[in-house]
Amino acid sequence: MIETDVIVVGSGPAGSSAAKHAALGGAKVILMDKKSEIGSPKRCAEEVPVKGLEKLGIELSPRWIAKRIDGMRILTPDGTDIWLTKDEVNLSGADCVLERKVFDKHMAMDAARAGAEIRIKTLVTGIEKIENGFIVETESMGKKEDFKCKILIAADGPEGHVARWAGLLPAAKANEMGSCVQYEMCNVEFEKPGISEFHFGSCAPGGFVWIFPKGDDIANVGLGIIPHKAEKSPKEYLDDFIAKSPYLKNAQAVELNVGGDPAGGMTKKLYDDNIMVVGAAAGQVNPLTGEGIIPGMIGGMYAGQVAAQAIKEDCSKKFLKLYDKMVREELDYESKGYKEVQDYIYSLSDEELNELGHALHEESFDEISANEVLKKIIKISPKASLKLGKLVM
Amino acid sequence: MIVKDWCSFCGECAGVCPRNLIQVREYSLVFNDDDCKDCDTCIKACPIDALEKEE
Repeated sequence: MIETDVIVVGSGPAGSSAAKHAALGGAKVILMDKKSEIGSPKRCAEEVPVKGLEKLGIELSPRWIAKRIDGMRILTPDGTDIWLTKDEVNLSGADCVLERKVFDKHMAMDAARAGAEIRIKTLVTGIEKIENGFIVETESMGKKEDFKCKILIAADGPEGHVARWAGLLPAAKANEMGSCVQYEMCNVEFEKPGISEFHFGSCAPGGFVWIFPKGDDIANVGLGIIPHKAEKSPKEYLDDFIAKSPYLKNAQAVELNVGGDPAGGMTKKLYDDNIMVVGAAAGQVNPLTGEGIIPGMIGGMYAGQVAAQAIKEDCSKKFLKLYDKMVREELDYESKGYKEVQDYIYSLSDEELNELGHALHEESFDEISANEVLKKIIKISPKASLKLGKLVM
Repeated sequence: MIVKDWCSFCGECAGVCPRNLIQVREYSLVFNDDDCKDCDTCIKACPIDALEKEE
């Protein structure tokens, strides 16, 4: 049996971030992923705020940035649009679109360079709680092997078993799990280059359609819906949207991506004796936008730091509570407000969305952010001000 | 459970399974049919209709 201090299950951005920071803190770390290629297939729309990467101390690299984004265009069902572009607003809140296949590998390499050992093509088939640790049962190309660790970090995504095996609740209830489909397409036409688009309304019940540019005529065109609010499958909604869009009339898909997005906010219990949960497995996803890379990596960073310290001091839940405290201070206030905004936006009919669109169409904005748009919505809509007034300052 | 050949193993079904009965391997799904209560949550959640109940 192989013994180590920390095992991280899942080498997405959250898991790699956890492995890197645990290794930097001096722990002996093994990072496992079931896939043969880290980062592939992607299950993601790939847009992240640049500020988030900077906060994590990650140096931006042209190897994994597909496109810097110059603004947002929000569309209502009748085609009314609201522009938030860098011509008129402060760009500090800008985003970039990643090439996840390259980014995820790069993050895993960062973990390896910090000292973590990586095991790809290694599936975790079970865990067993032992005194002060876990036995992790794995399978790699027919070979079964057991590992022993003092700290187990579950970063195995929204479908992850590890946390649930350990008795911690899953990230999202079925009725909060966004169901997403996306094509990466070429021959996409844009009104303006470098703008990410968000289409709201009955084109995507409980979610939205996104068009995120990846440079030249390439874009991720996808949507997320909440299945119990929908009448068709996500793929049917997306195909219908594409068939109607003049900008996509010549677009051709070169890749299909599917996946779930736990949009219900962070799980109540993120840790127990000898275990912490990070990333989408812990619901560390912005419930409004569905963006989970930055929150997941922040969760991973704190879990890794706490793990390294715990190895030296105490691996019980009493000590690991520190991770919970750190990550909630950073992420929870956001998720709390955003969840209510999400509920509000998805309660609107197409007509109500159009009315808002007409009122906001001529508005100008100081900053590119969802909060900025919300402030304006509250000003003009009594329903919004009633539901959201106390959230936005 | 019948898994159609267009399944892309995204794991959405496993994520919503209330009993944690679906294991997502790299290129296959393993269902624990014995403990399944036929709630159909996984079938409804699949973004590309790749699951079908065995009659």
